[in-house]
Amino acid sequence: MKRTKYKKIISPLVVVIACEIIGRSGLVDPFFFPAPSAMLKSLWSMMASGEIFPHIGISVLRAVTGYIIAAVAGLFIGVLVAWSRMCEMIFDPLIELIRPISTFALVPIMFVWFGIGNGSKTAIIVKACFFPIVLNTIAGIKGVDGRLVQAARSLGAGGLQLWTMVLIPSALPMIITGMRISTAMSMLAIVGVEMLAADSGIGFLVIDAQRTFATDRMFAGIIVISLMGVGLDRVARVVQRKVLSWHEESSMAGVG
Amino acid sequence: MPFIEAENVRKVFAARKKITALESLSINIARNEFVSIIGPSGCGKSTFLLLLAGLEQYSGGRIHIDGKPVEGPDPKRAIVFQEYLLFPWRTVRKNIEFGPQVRKVPGEERKRISERYIRLVGLEGFENRYPHELSGGMKQRVAIARALANEPTVLLMDEPFGALDALTREMLQLELLRIWQEAKCTVVFVTHSISEAVYLSDRVVVMSNRPGRILADMAIDLPRPRNRDMMAGSDFFSYEQRLRELVWPQISSADANGNGNEENEV
Repeated sequence: MKRTKYKKIISPLVVVIACEIIGRSGLVDPFFFPAPSAMLKSLWSMMASGEIFPHIGISVLRAVTGYIIAAVAGLFIGVLVAWSRMCEMIFDPLIELIRPISTFALVPIMFVWFGIGNGSKTAIIVKACFFPIVLNTIAGIKGVDGRLVQAARSLGAGGLQLWTMVLIPSALPMIITGMRISTAMSMLAIVGVEMLAADSGIGFLVIDAQRTFATDRMFAGIIVISLMGVGLDRVARVVQRKVLSWHEESSMAGVG
Repeated sequence: MPFIEAENVRKVFAARKKITALESLSINIARNEFVSIIGPSGCGKSTFLLLLAGLEQYSGGRIHIDGKPVEGPDPKRAIVFQEYLLFPWRTVRKNIEFGPQVRKVPGEERKRISERYIRLVGLEGFENRYPHELSGGMKQRVAIARALANEPTVLLMDEPFGALDALTREMLQLELLRIWQEAKCTVVFVTHSISEAVYLSDRVVVMSNRPGRILADMAIDLPRPRNRDMMAGSDFFSYEQRLRELVWPQISSADANGNGNEENEV
């Protein structure tokens, strides 16, 4: 296990070294492609001055707020749709119509509705995160083996107990998968919307660097975005493993 | 008065086309009796078991258990399926405690119950394993313990050993007899295996092709406790032979009708 972990570092390292060589050789104008050492240097200086942390903080705050709202709403509506035909008839067409709309196509509407402050950005995150969660919740609950429900009923379970003791736990692997997809979605969406209109956040930092021709800062911001994404996914993985400790390793592979 | 009383039971499934699974099926079973049902695939044996469990509703006739009509599932009537159907997110102990937990039995009492049945089915040391960590035979032990944890008066078993290898099967048959003697309940046991039916039961009932009804009802007068050596005896052999003669025409006519492959044992 340990060894494969180290092996995974090799290919990124090779890319970094190659970029460094190209950057220093003068083959490419450093304005277009600064050497990794220059990127890291400017990243370091942004960290040393502390200017980068508020940007990271506000981005994470927006993403997490939107994510939590989406998760609560997605779970709630997902359970409703799986629970009643009526709710399915109401929500299913709406979900099918809104889901295919690109998140960013809704940005102008969100600005009109929620202003250009944190409200509209949070709303965009909600749009991006809601659908994977609601769809996986519905599919997870509907996919529960009817025979398992029969077994539970024969043991005396009925009504709400079937939901809390059988349907939800049984659907949990699917639900958690939806939640993990959404963590990635939230990162994609927050950076995008911050580039379109914001005066803070990590996405703003990158677009602002580009506008001021500070390409090394631009790349430094992109490195931070990458690390934030990886970090968030790690957290999601740990949560998943904790919640689904009972789940077979083999079926986890499809999830991972 | 018989403990389980089924009279002219009819079951029609109305999916795309109407299928009559059971027609005028009548049977009486005494308290603490061990009765096996054999019959061709798709004859409705499993359907009958689901009716007894109250998991499916019968379309006609009547089923009374302990003097009361069957109107829905009841924890006093437990069912064990061929596919085990354990809850994969619950450990062995928590699976067994499912019934008591549903009945809101307090934690300590629940633990006493699970301890008892873990011992009864011989799963000591595996209490905290998850189902996917267990072999088929162990899973079925858990399923039996889970069913017994509600202290049922009726234990319904739907080909419980059908998915197990021959040796595990033999072992669990013996254990089931021991458990049945200890737990004191009425067992209705569906199986494909004639020798398994003879070996375990007080009575073996043969069902016809769909629509299923009772063709024959044979008392098995072999002494208890049973053991594997009896299987070599001439009595055992003649029971098997007579049952086989009853079942075979059903299977071949099912094949001739072309519905033997449908495997529609809902």
